[in-house]
Amino acid sequence: MSLAEALEGKDYIIEEILTDDEELNAFLFSLGCYSGESITVVAKRKKNLTVSIKDARYNIDIQLASAIIVR
Amino acid sequence: MRIALTGNPNSGKTTLYNAITGKNERVGNWAGVTVDKKESPIKKSLYEAGEELVAVDLPGAYSMSPFTSEESVTSSYVKEDNPDVIINIVDGTNLSRSLFFTTQLLELGIPMVVALNKSDVNESKETIIDADTLSEKLGCPVIPTTSTTGEGHKELIAKAVELKGTSQKAPYIQGDVDLTDKAAVEAADRKRFDFVNAIVKDVETRKVLTKDKNFGDKLDNVLTNKWLGIPIFAVVMYLVFQISQAWVGPFIADTLVAWLESFQGWVGDKVGDASPLLYALLIDGVIGGVIAVIGFLPLVMVMYFLIALLEDCGYMSRVAVVLDPIFKKVGLSGKSVIPFVITIGCAVPGIMASRTIRNERERRATAMIAPFMPCGAKVPVIALFAGAFFDGAGWVSTVAYFVGILLIFLSALLVNKIAGYKARKSFFIIELPEYKAPSLLGAFKSMCSRGWAYIVKAATIILLCNTAVQIMQTFNWSFKEAASADESILASIAGPFAYILVPFVGVLSWELAAAAITGFIAKENVVGTLAVCFVGLDNLIDTEELAMMEGSGAEVAGVMAITKVAALAYMMFNLYSPPCFAAIGAMNSEMKSAKWIWGGIGLQLGVGFTVAYLVYTIGTLVTDAASLAAGPAIAGLVAIVIMVAIVIALINNTNKQLKKEYAISK
Ligand SMILES: Nc1nc2c(ncn2[C@@H]2O[C@H](COP(=O)(O)OP(=O)(O)O)[C@@H](O)[C@H]2O)c(=O)[nH]1
Ligand SMILES: [Mg+2]
Repeated sequence: MSLAEALEGKDYIIEEILTDDEELNAFLFSLGCYSGESITVVAKRKKNLTVSIKDARYNIDIQLASAIIVR
Repeated sequence: MRIALTGNPNSGKTTLYNAITGKNERVGNWAGVTVDKKESPIKKSLYEAGEELVAVDLPGAYSMSPFTSEESVTSSYVKEDNPDVIINIVDGTNLSRSLFFTTQLLELGIPMVVALNKSDVNESKETIIDADTLSEKLGCPVIPTTSTTGEGHKELIAKAVELKGTSQKAPYIQGDVDLTDKAAVEAADRKRFDFVNAIVKDVETRKVLTKDKNFGDKLDNVLTNKWLGIPIFAVVMYLVFQISQAWVGPFIADTLVAWLESFQGWVGDKVGDASPLLYALLIDGVIGGVIAVIGFLPLVMVMYFLIALLEDCGYMSRVAVVLDPIFKKVGLSGKSVIPFVITIGCAVPGIMASRTIRNERERRATAMIAPFMPCGAKVPVIALFAGAFFDGAGWVSTVAYFVGILLIFLSALLVNKIAGYKARKSFFIIELPEYKAPSLLGAFKSMCSRGWAYIVKAATIILLCNTAVQIMQTFNWSFKEAASADESILASIAGPFAYILVPFVGVLSWELAAAAITGFIAKENVVGTLAVCFVGLDNLIDTEELAMMEGSGAEVAGVMAITKVAALAYMMFNLYSPPCFAAIGAMNSEMKSAKWIWGGIGLQLGVGFTVAYLVYTIGTLVTDAASLAAGPAIAGLVAIVIMVAIVIALINNTNKQLKKEYAISK
């Protein structure tokens, strides 16, 4: 499923990032957001969510969340 | 020797830079504050005599491969400019991410010291990092520091000096990777992260896990709440403007002006015996004009102080989150919010902040429309008109900012229509730094340095302009004292431009035209020039005195000979027409396109004129319809119709092009 459907307060493992934007992919990678790494949904709102990757918090919009496939 | 400061965004590089050099560069609690390279010698007290040390502050980066243009400054600097030593500032609260970049830097071979920063936060969270083991694993010295207090700085610099001339061995070597092979690069990066993760596991013990919900998350839930987010932001901004421009600012300004006037009187006494011409030139003109500008300094300084507090506490990235959905509707994103907020202080850094926006069209649009947000230099203009025509009413400044925000939205829409906005997947991601109590001392310092810059500007550019204006309005073209100012050089130069102003001020006034023109050099000049041109306007913010003048029938409105509505329209023209040359220069360097820069100036001129025209015409029709002169009103309308026609033609053209592209791609 995608991160957009994920539940608040749960840990997930990233499976895949669906984007053909290589730079974005590389950027997310340098933050530690790549397949096999864990990601936590700290807060979920209608249009955006707060996630914790490694030791930082990020806010991402629902479009980006839908592109991050987790399990 | 040169020491480069590198590290992730928001790790504290600029705080360290300011501490060791005594400079006052902008610090803020969000990623992307520093967008350019800065260089300065390190304070002598921090190291023993010897070769001079120069620190180089760089924009933050997460890795050697740049994502946005400001990040590329960093990687190209360390690769090509051969700094003698690198200080890598590592955010100790986020070791697992930071060390990725660290290991890349270590491969360059340049001697490196790691500053393990934000030790104070780690201490309070009881996170323990074993610096010795970390140093061993990385193969370079690791010094725990706290940039905000100066802890560890001396040691850090001593280590850096010691390392000069040595060469760095990398603990992790990527080896030969075909950089064009995406999969191979990713595989190599994965190995690097595995290496980093193993180190972190060994050296870090955490009591509080980052992923656990904390107080900041609860605060986020309120501040970025769907319903509350925007009202809270509106209230915060309203408070900033009210406190600086209505409550605290004017109070201090009154005292300052009284003091400055006694200075003016003192100089007046000194030259009292000289010719009346010199007296008028020096005392009423030049000094009066500068006082008129400096008198507003407290308003601007209070505002700088409050904005510095806002920037330091971590709220800015939340604002970007809150406004992201709205800005997406007009083709921008939450990232544009930060340039707009910085512009409230000054448009030049505001426009430069658009560099952190990756999409080129969005970046250019942001740089183009940011100046609609009234900047600090426009505060005196607002305060002058509010004080002189509206009894110092607070609503004038509220309206000024509100209209500015509205114009930003409308012109963003317009720019997108003209530039051809193709629906594309937009991704928004922004780091949410931890909230922190803003540093009062830091805000005070930032206020002083920006305030000082304002004084320097008043004493140089504005003084020069005032002098020029005063001379030009005193003499005629044969360099004799003009019989009346109307026959002066200034009147004949500004005169033709005055016709453009007639549709929204209702009178032909070369003085107002001259003020608007000098405003392009620096917006404070609008106030200075008005003060010089209209004798009797030299005490501009002492509203008490103005009230007295009003009481005796000599309204300021009478001095300027325009109506209140016209004053409002003229003020808005100055606020929303193109910014000062410095800001236009910044626009140019961010846009890097002649088409865009001219388009931008055209848009700003058009918007400034249209807003002023609408305010004046509608306002006059409502208040005193009979006084509206038909000729200028029609001329103005025709001008606007022509502009609208041009815009429609441009949009049609773009649509045709888009259709063509669409047909081909099908
Ligand atoms: N608690 C704490 N905060 C720090 C420290 N160093 C920097 N900061 C804060 O971190 C934020 C980012 O600092 P800045 O110097 O702009 O980071 P840069 O992006 O790396 O230049 C600011 O709010 C600083 O006040 C530190 O050692 N301890
Ligand atoms: Mg910085």
